[in-house]
Amino acid sequence: MTGNFKTFVLSALFVALAGTTTATTNAQAGTLDDILARGELRVAVQTQGPPYSFMDKNGERTGSAIQLTELMAKEMGVKVTYLDFDWDGLIPALMSGKADILAADMTATLTRATKVAFTKPWIHVGAVGFTTQGSDFKSLEDCKKPGTTIAVILGSTAEKSVPTFFPDGEMKSFKGGGTVVLDAVASGQAQCGVNDNTAVSAQILNYPENTFNVFPEMLTSEPLAYAVRYDSQDLLIWANLFLDTVQGDGRLKANLDYWVNSAKWQADH
Amino acid sequence: MLGNLNIRVIFEYFPALWQGFLNTLMMSGLGFAGAMILGIIACALTIQPLRWLRAPAVAYVDVIRATPLLAQLYFLYFGLPRLGILLPEILIGIVALALNSGAYVAEIIRSGILAVPRGQFEASMSSGLTYLQRMRFIILPQAIRPTVSPLIGQAIVLVKDSSLLSLISVVELARVGQQIALDRFMPVEGLAATAAGFLIIYYMLKALAALWSRFNRLPGQA
Repeated sequence: MTGNFKTFVLSALFVALAGTTTATTNAQAGTLDDILARGELRVAVQTQGPPYSFMDKNGERTGSAIQLTELMAKEMGVKVTYLDFDWDGLIPALMSGKADILAADMTATLTRATKVAFTKPWIHVGAVGFTTQGSDFKSLEDCKKPGTTIAVILGSTAEKSVPTFFPDGEMKSFKGGGTVVLDAVASGQAQCGVNDNTAVSAQILNYPENTFNVFPEMLTSEPLAYAVRYDSQDLLIWANLFLDTVQGDGRLKANLDYWVNSAKWQADH
Repeated sequence: MLGNLNIRVIFEYFPALWQGFLNTLMMSGLGFAGAMILGIIACALTIQPLRWLRAPAVAYVDVIRATPLLAQLYFLYFGLPRLGILLPEILIGIVALALNSGAYVAEIIRSGILAVPRGQFEASMSSGLTYLQRMRFIILPQAIRPTVSPLIGQAIVLVKDSSLLSLISVVELARVGQQIALDRFMPVEGLAATAAGFLIIYYMLKALAALWSRFNRLPGQA
């Protein structure tokens, strides 16, 4: 029996140790130097769907955040390598040094900023509610009825704001990209869904027309930003200057007008 | 290196972890009970001589073993509502686990029956026993012993597979671990707590297997 207990303790230790080694951060001075020496910018992305990061008709990764990052690498004079993670793997990937920078439709929140450093925002978005057309939920108020099931993405800002806006609702968190929330509502597994307005309006284009009814009310206003590690001050300063520059010369506006504020991208991708 | 592990956070989330642990146990338990029932039925159908009864059971075993559990889970969760069947996710999870493991259980039991020496079939047949009597009194008692170990193995696989249910918003051990990782950005603490939970269930099953073999020792065996 003691033999059994010993093996148990040993396996528990093994599990704990295996965990710690993966989380060891390789702190390095001068991330920007490293990137230039390597000739490669390693970017943690997610394939959450249009308009920020998705696989287009030709099977190529593209989207607003992707194009902006390509521009960043071009200005830096290096090539881009994308590391594709699930939403909840993005910050750990950055923290563990697997990626130099995180480019996703991630809101700069105070909690996340305790772990990673956010750049200046490149766009502001807001959370919206939606349901299927022809459902009993005619307005956002209907979705606040007690017991209504509300789909959100696991680890998203909506997961934090939904209990406030829908105190009597029953929240269901789904792991994966934004479309999983739309799928959950379309299939009836949840009655209403909450996600970023820009993501919702781009992603409903993948579904037959009139599948969804998106409510106009903006529940929140959230800044989306790039993130780097706190020990990458050089990269942070450079990225902020990059954002100022593309904002000043109109290249950011061109990107957003093409991807986010219109459905123009649909013709090409 | 263990200094990196923030035990305080794990304790803070202990109520949630405990709930996840109970849910994992409950869903795995019901899932395995369902798998045993499905497996026994499927196995009985595959070894009996009527072809029209055999074909659907063989098809079930083949289709399930050829496709990943994740695909089966998504089919049940996102596909069935299109056919007008809307079930709560916990039920879908249990059904998916039972359906998936049932196919493997059927194969394990079948291999146990096939391991019974041919002479036993022939001897019982010449004693004038009916098919059901032969199975009940001669074949099955001998077939059960070699299947216990692989069945416990299958139960262990099922317990770990149940972590996939976190993908359809079921709160179980893996989901609570993800939640710790996401709320506090402490993936190590979250995953270590999850792993510890699964390890405990594993040792429970192992102890169960040891108990079974102690009480069902063959005469003359150590």
